[in-house]
Amino acid sequence: MLKLIQKLVPRSPWIYRLNAGSCNGCDVEMATTALIPRYDVERIGCKYCGSPRHADLVLISGPLNLRVREKVLRVFNEIPHPKVTIGVGACPASGGCFREGYSLEEPVDQYIPLDVIVPGCPPRPQAIIEGVVKALDVWRKRLEEDTCCRF
Amino acid sequence: MSNILEATFAVLIFPGGAFALALGLFLKGVDRKVLARLQRRVGPTLIQPLLDILKLSIKETLIPKTANELAFRMAPVLGLAGVLVTAAIMPVGGVWSGVTGLGDILVLLYLLPIPAMALMLAGCSSSSPYGALGFSREMALMFAYEMPLIATFLAVAVRVGGAGGSLFSLDAIMAYQFLHGPMLLDPVMIPAALALIIFIPGTMGSGLFDIPEAEPEVIEGPLLEYSGPLLATFHLMSAVKLVVVLELAVALLWPNPLGGSVLVNLAWHVFKCLVLLLVSVTCFRAATGRLRLDQGFAFFFKYTTPMALVSLGLATILR
Repeated sequence: MLKLIQKLVPRSPWIYRLNAGSCNGCDVEMATTALIPRYDVERIGCKYCGSPRHADLVLISGPLNLRVREKVLRVFNEIPHPKVTIGVGACPASGGCFREGYSLEEPVDQYIPLDVIVPGCPPRPQAIIEGVVKALDVWRKRLEEDTCCRF
Repeated sequence: MSNILEATFAVLIFPGGAFALALGLFLKGVDRKVLARLQRRVGPTLIQPLLDILKLSIKETLIPKTANELAFRMAPVLGLAGVLVTAAIMPVGGVWSGVTGLGDILVLLYLLPIPAMALMLAGCSSSSPYGALGFSREMALMFAYEMPLIATFLAVAVRVGGAGGSLFSLDAIMAYQFLHGPMLLDPVMIPAALALIIFIPGTMGSGLFDIPEAEPEVIEGPLLEYSGPLLATFHLMSAVKLVVVLELAVALLWPNPLGGSVLVNLAWHVFKCLVLLLVSVTCFRAATGRLRLDQGFAFFFKYTTPMALVSLGLATILR
């Protein structure tokens, strides 16, 4: 029974967008992915949720600058286990065009472990959807290995 | 003794319990799929609500430090228990006539607001400002949509009472319609039927009336702080509530069985629920945006309640 649940669970990913000081380019692309019928993410079971407590997959955009770091980490900790993180755009991975700027010290993955990175500045909606699908594999593996789950 | 057994069966297995949960999740799946097709998308699979609930059941439960923990944990359980009891007294035409001794629409009037009460309890115990906003919106909207429901109940009851039946009994209402044809085809009852069909999206919070749980404004309002199994319980509650209000509309307007065996009647009942769902929830949701709270409140008081009152007046005059 538990095995069956673990097999079925990754078919219902709920997505949360976390803006860690991004320039809004990636956020527009993510909104496009979700909110217009053309790239229908609901076909893989996705639903965008406004509350971090409902979320499973976290799409992080932006380089995590000094001003928002504490707040972003606080919101991130409110997302219940098991969660999978996806870095969207160049900023979370490397700092992008904000690299070595005065307002940030390191890219996101110094503070938040990123499971999947979707490169691009900004990435295309198709790439974001592919990132979400890849994150489902990570989630499935994590459930099987019991590394992140309650039982 | 047999009464207790019958009631337990009704709450846990047939009209309530397993049956209502399965039917509710199925109806939710159909709703999402058809909505997606109306927007020319592929949409999720039919069992998506079930998958969501399985997923939520293995997630972590987080409770805010400032929340009232007892009320926070009890709210979804109370809501689910309330709708299951409500489902148990819902008659199914030709199959089941509700638990005896409880089949009374005054009891229904007390039981129907329980899910809304559970949401309000959840909202105000979660200590979140959005939860409190959702609480106040839910409460204001409840005052609005209970009025047409009560007026419709009264109209149906007076119509049945005029024909010599006992006023407030669901059994009598069903028996009247088996004899005289469904209420939906009765010209006096048409405004009340429309009011009841508008009541369904109002109480489910879909379409124009998605005010308490408006995602862009109050981030799901009362459900904001919930996660894991507690949230799953709320989703189950909402699924059973959908079944309850659809069955209520079917029982008041068109409970007539198709005749023949029990299974045929059950399938006919499910079919009627499905059609009502597509008309009043899915198409309505696809075609409309959302009203402000005051507009939603005024909508019910300006249009829906008078429609039900017209039927009530006509039924009183023509008895």
